[in-house]
Amino acid sequence: MSTRRGVGLGAFANRTQASQSYANHGATLRSTHLSSLQTQLSVFQSLLHTFALEHSSTIKSNPSFRAEFARMCNTIGVDPLAASNVKGKNARKGEGGSIWTQIMGGDMNDFYFEVAVRVVQLCRDTRIENGGLLGVRECRKRVGQGKAIGSGLEITDDDVLRAVKSLEPLGSGFSIVKVGSKQYIRSVPKELNTDQATVLEVIQILGYVSISMLQVNLNWEKARAQTVIDDLLADGLVWLDAQSDEKEYWSPQNLLGDI
Amino acid sequence: MANSFLTSSSQQPFQFPPTYSFPPFFTPQPNAATRLSQLQKWSSLIQSWCRHHRIYRFSLVETIDSPLFHNTTLRKRLSLSDARNIIDWMAKPEEDGGGKRAEWIDGANKTMTWIWWRRPEEWAGIVADWVENTGQKNVVLTVYELTQGETTMSQEWHGMDTDAMLRSLNVLVKRGKAQVFGSEGQEGVKFF
Repeated sequence: MSTRRGVGLGAFANRTQASQSYANHGATLRSTHLSSLQTQLSVFQSLLHTFALEHSSTIKSNPSFRAEFARMCNTIGVDPLAASNVKGKNARKGEGGSIWTQIMGGDMNDFYFEVAVRVVQLCRDTRIENGGLLGVRECRKRVGQGKAIGSGLEITDDDVLRAVKSLEPLGSGFSIVKVGSKQYIRSVPKELNTDQATVLEVIQILGYVSISMLQVNLNWEKARAQTVIDDLLADGLVWLDAQSDEKEYWSPQNLLGDI
Repeated sequence: MANSFLTSSSQQPFQFPPTYSFPPFFTPQPNAATRLSQLQKWSSLIQSWCRHHRIYRFSLVETIDSPLFHNTTLRKRLSLSDARNIIDWMAKPEEDGGGKRAEWIDGANKTMTWIWWRRPEEWAGIVADWVENTGQKNVVLTVYELTQGETTMSQEWHGMDTDAMLRSLNVLVKRGKAQVFGSEGQEGVKFF
């Protein structure tokens, strides 16, 4: 800024001129920045492309490497699966399929669809056992073991989440719900109310709860605790053990369709 | 039978599935869907337990105290009436869930049951295949030879309960693929 203020009418013209120059200069700076950023981004994308091509086999076979790669894509605002999922919604012209399809010729999408198929199958197989709420971690473990559903597949929780997300456009009714720190795949469309979510969160600690545990720890009245438990039982989300001093309500999350 | 029971059970202890360590497994579930899941798990456990020990039938009163129905570690057990309900369910045809995997031997008394970890018609198929592959068509075999003889040592049905074997052979008789003759305890069979 100028330290001396001009006097007289000429000062107005000067001021206008000055602010115009500032604006011009600002615009120039912005456009240089923008173009340099664009260059950087395209350089980065092409590097990402090269990187993905070079390491495609590692990305496919190594789950933690894949997760890091996905994280890297997310950081620069690239959802590797997005384009194929929301075609027409915000797909840019000339871009068919997701980044991963472009990079690896559809292999990656195939990979997630395969995971998705297994996730769906496991959800179906365990639905009467767990009321349609399956822990992401448990799901990953079982799909990873591949028991009863083909060979094992080395995957991470992140892969499972991505796979479930890839089902969204199908209107499958599969979604991810978070209860406490734990994520579940919900395959039966049903909302949990706050109390039910709270109880499920408490169950995560010991694997079970009783009415008196809820009364003591949450300061609930007996009727309230009983109502929530009855609702959870009715939805098949907990199992009853009546052979203890007090009835206990257990989470079926570790059963995983074992018969 | 006693022999094979001992050998197979002493070779390797039965591996109970994780569900067996789940305390609510031993309480009949109030929710119908959950109950169905529970019945399926029990049916599967009972079948694999019997298969492991080469058991074809058991008395409910005797078995109720065995590890199958009594988890001493958890101190949980199936009640006699619930065990009976589970066998009842297993005895139902496929469309009602059970798939005829059990069958009461003493009818309404419901104290002795067959456990068909392979159904008679499945056994019939296996035995018929064996006869075919070993070229024993039109050969007369005694039922004793078939279940206890040295030639069937490696077969899955070796040591099988005679009554269970006769039930299975009857399936072949009805199909006109075998003929059973002789007096009780001395049965012989001829395959066509």
